[in-house]
Amino acid sequence: MLRLKNGRVYDPVHGIDGQVRDIHVRDGRVVAAPLPGDPVDTEIDLAGRAVMAGAIDLHTHIGGGKMNIARALLPEDHRRDLVPAMAGLHAGCGHAAPSTWTTGYRYAEMGYTACFEPAMLPANARHAHLEMGDIPMVDKGAYAMLGSDDFFLRLLTSGAEQRLINDYVGWTLDASQAMAIKVVNPGGISAFKFNARNLDLDEAHPHYGVTPRRVIQVLARAVHELGLAHPLHVHASNLGIPGNADTTLATMAAAEGLPIHLTHIQFHSYGKEGERAFSSEAERIADAINRMANVSADVGQILFGQTVTASGDTMAQHRNHRHASPDKWVVMDIECDAGCGVVPFRYKDKNFVNALQWAIGLELFLRVTDPWRIFLTTDHPNGAPFTSYPHLIRLLMDRSFRNSKLDEINAEAAAHSQLRGLDREYSLYEIAIMTRAAPARSLGLSDRGHLGEGAAADIVVYRDLADREAMFEKPEYVFKDGRLIVRDGKVVNVVNGALHTAKPEYDKGIEKPLKEYFDRYMTVKMEHIKVSDEEICACGASKLIPHQCKRRAA
Amino acid sequence: MPDSFFSCPFCGLLCDDLPADVERIGCARATRLFSVPAQGQCRVSGRPADPAEARRVAAGILSGARRPLVAGLACDVTGHRAALDLAERTGARVDHMNGPAQFRNWLAFQDGGWMTTTLSEVRNRADVVILAGTVASAFPRFFERCLAPESQFGDLARRVIVLGGPISRLPEPFAGSALTIPVPATRLGELCAVLRARLTGRPLPVREVAGVPAAQIDAVLEILRSARYGVLAWNAAELDFPGAELTIQAMVDLVKDLNRDTRWSGLPLGGNDGDTTAAQVCTWRTGYPLRVAFESAGPRYEPLLFDAARLLAAGEADALLWISALDPARVPPDAACPRIVLGRPDMVFEHPPEVFIPVAVPGVHQAGFMHRMDGVVALPLSVRVASELPSVAQAIAAIQEEMKRVAA
Repeated sequence: MLRLKNGRVYDPVHGIDGQVRDIHVRDGRVVAAPLPGDPVDTEIDLAGRAVMAGAIDLHTHIGGGKMNIARALLPEDHRRDLVPAMAGLHAGCGHAAPSTWTTGYRYAEMGYTACFEPAMLPANARHAHLEMGDIPMVDKGAYAMLGSDDFFLRLLTSGAEQRLINDYVGWTLDASQAMAIKVVNPGGISAFKFNARNLDLDEAHPHYGVTPRRVIQVLARAVHELGLAHPLHVHASNLGIPGNADTTLATMAAAEGLPIHLTHIQFHSYGKEGERAFSSEAERIADAINRMANVSADVGQILFGQTVTASGDTMAQHRNHRHASPDKWVVMDIECDAGCGVVPFRYKDKNFVNALQWAIGLELFLRVTDPWRIFLTTDHPNGAPFTSYPHLIRLLMDRSFRNSKLDEINAEAAAHSQLRGLDREYSLYEIAIMTRAAPARSLGLSDRGHLGEGAAADIVVYRDLADREAMFEKPEYVFKDGRLIVRDGKVVNVVNGALHTAKPEYDKGIEKPLKEYFDRYMTVKMEHIKVSDEEICACGASKLIPHQCKRRAA
Repeated sequence: MPDSFFSCPFCGLLCDDLPADVERIGCARATRLFSVPAQGQCRVSGRPADPAEARRVAAGILSGARRPLVAGLACDVTGHRAALDLAERTGARVDHMNGPAQFRNWLAFQDGGWMTTTLSEVRNRADVVILAGTVASAFPRFFERCLAPESQFGDLARRVIVLGGPISRLPEPFAGSALTIPVPATRLGELCAVLRARLTGRPLPVREVAGVPAAQIDAVLEILRSARYGVLAWNAAELDFPGAELTIQAMVDLVKDLNRDTRWSGLPLGGNDGDTTAAQVCTWRTGYPLRVAFESAGPRYEPLLFDAARLLAAGEADALLWISALDPARVPPDAACPRIVLGRPDMVFEHPPEVFIPVAVPGVHQAGFMHRMDGVVALPLSVRVASELPSVAQAIAAIQEEMKRVAA
């Protein structure tokens, strides 16, 4: 048994806010204090240290075809951050589009123990699992993308009952070994294949005639009725377009009270006021989130510097390619399923639009009052590489630091923003909610994100430094399933992570029309698109963690 | 669930509709390559040797090498993972046997990017298909699989345009209806450049470009503009001349420009000999699509210098590990340095290598994963014939064990 003694524990699931507690670990789990006489093999005195559960990133593009496109596209970026092989650790590259090995090591070195890839195309699922199989240290999971795939749009157009849609969504989760369902620019990726360059929430798809609103309604209901823990994960229409805040608000309303998660909401909180017709609507968006208990969001904060944007939203990525820096970009239509677009980006603090995007993201963090419903993300790598999280945490926790950065950005943008007027500073407790407890709850990971008895012993120990960036950059200890994996911000033991998947109940009769569709139109058989449970370990995961789902009434 | 169809690893289409009797599918390439013995004989300098001796000699060569080269790389995901592990351990450079073709594409890709599509999109959407410098004969079932007449958006009256030297061998119904424009492959770039210029309305004050009359150029332009979803396909392996990456860049730039008003996509044909898989695995593990050296500062990428043929010709490698588990004709190049071959059991050598270890063929003797040419779809390979042959990964692991034992 391991005893972590005297640490100040931040465990929001149990309402523990910095109280001194001992934590006991046995066989990879948090256990009750031993009875007198029970041997404690190892004891670490953590007086003065902050102790939290392992952090969970619920939206980070870590693996899958589009990340490999981003990697292959950017040799010049890798050269700035070469990673040599070291004892037991593989060589690779870091920064914007890190190699799989480096992704795992660096997440663990920041105290993350689980990461969720939010945009897995079912057609690309086996590849995504192979890639994620080579991401060590952390547990993983992926969200299957639906909403622009022709089979679904055909179902919708033919007036299929919700029950049939539910079966298809259930089948997709099963076949692609996914944890949740994501929709990206609903119907828009398909519309781009029909040469549409824009698709508003209530605009009819040029071929199918259905609207993005309908896509959201049907998928949100399917996700709810199948009993998935995580709500429909929505990358809304009109990403990046000035004035898109109206679309974002209408998208929230489109869920009609069902749970909905809006992702990288910073990119969807824009107005078109002012001389440059680009303004912040963070206040209106945050107010809506505060008002609507069915809505959660992650921010997709941008931070200044070189990165690369990788998205399923071909329509938006093609529109934005003129901003590519360096000037090269990739757009791909994929398998009557979806697509992807990769556009390198350099966010500049002196650029009005980029500076305002930065301020909008921070405003959203500070204006949304409930940390259980707003998650810390940069939409890695789209807003910034995940390695900038410690910096972002400092911006949230340290008002004077934030304001000093505000002084450095484009002055006009700083003047436009209301950021300086926001006094809020996140507490360690709120950071623990936002990066641990809340994502675990949102994903239905009942034994993660907290430190109660029976929890998986994913535990992070930080020195309580005034400089919160330095504090979160280098945890003193990270334990994964009870095993010490990081010491003083460096990997000391390499472990392999598991794969979380949702296992909903659905009627396998859906395979009949699916098989006919694949045999008739596709260049792959339905049977071979499916990734079996047995393949998951061959792909590289340590094990599969299935999450049963309890159906909810219609 | 028992699966009555299986996948073919022998070309980049990775057809997954093969019945137990492969010949029924009518693909000469598949028929030829699925026929492979389930046993093989290890050899050392051409003479039969037992596996332990072959491993010992191989380990000795690799342990003594200071600048090894791991090349060929015709295998499945598990084989590539093992090959990269070994390369990392020995400080080797890695390149695929199709590297010259792959890097014509990668150089264009890394300079400007591109817009591309996948096989099922082609099948369902492409109403105009340009075959530039190729008729896809390296992918025997391309027309059957990707240009079938039925699509989910209604029957497609596909227009096929072949840009290339005198072409025969187009299958029906395309042989009769295709528009063939004779252009030497070396001048495809010029033709694409002039189409881009005409697309933006620039005048064409000459009578012909690359042998194509101005009026025909404008007629082609009209077809390009009026396509609903056009696809421009090329096979980098067939663009075998200096500077061919610029030809590919001209093609993909034309595709990009056409997308200002309509929809077009490129289709880089390839993926034979597991080359797509090799590039994918190396990219996710190192950040680079092969031609990487594992150096002490980290992976070093040199897309021109780390061409295996160049390294061997220049004497810049002191050991070659050649992996070729798919096609017995792909033997290693001659080299001044010692050669270790993990190859198909039916491989025949004119100049026997120092070590030959026969390995299982993925998708015949061994299960595995492989990517289709588009890099999106990865398919499971299954065991068709029981065999005692080690997989590439097992053979590499055994050599590494031997290296560790000797070092200890």
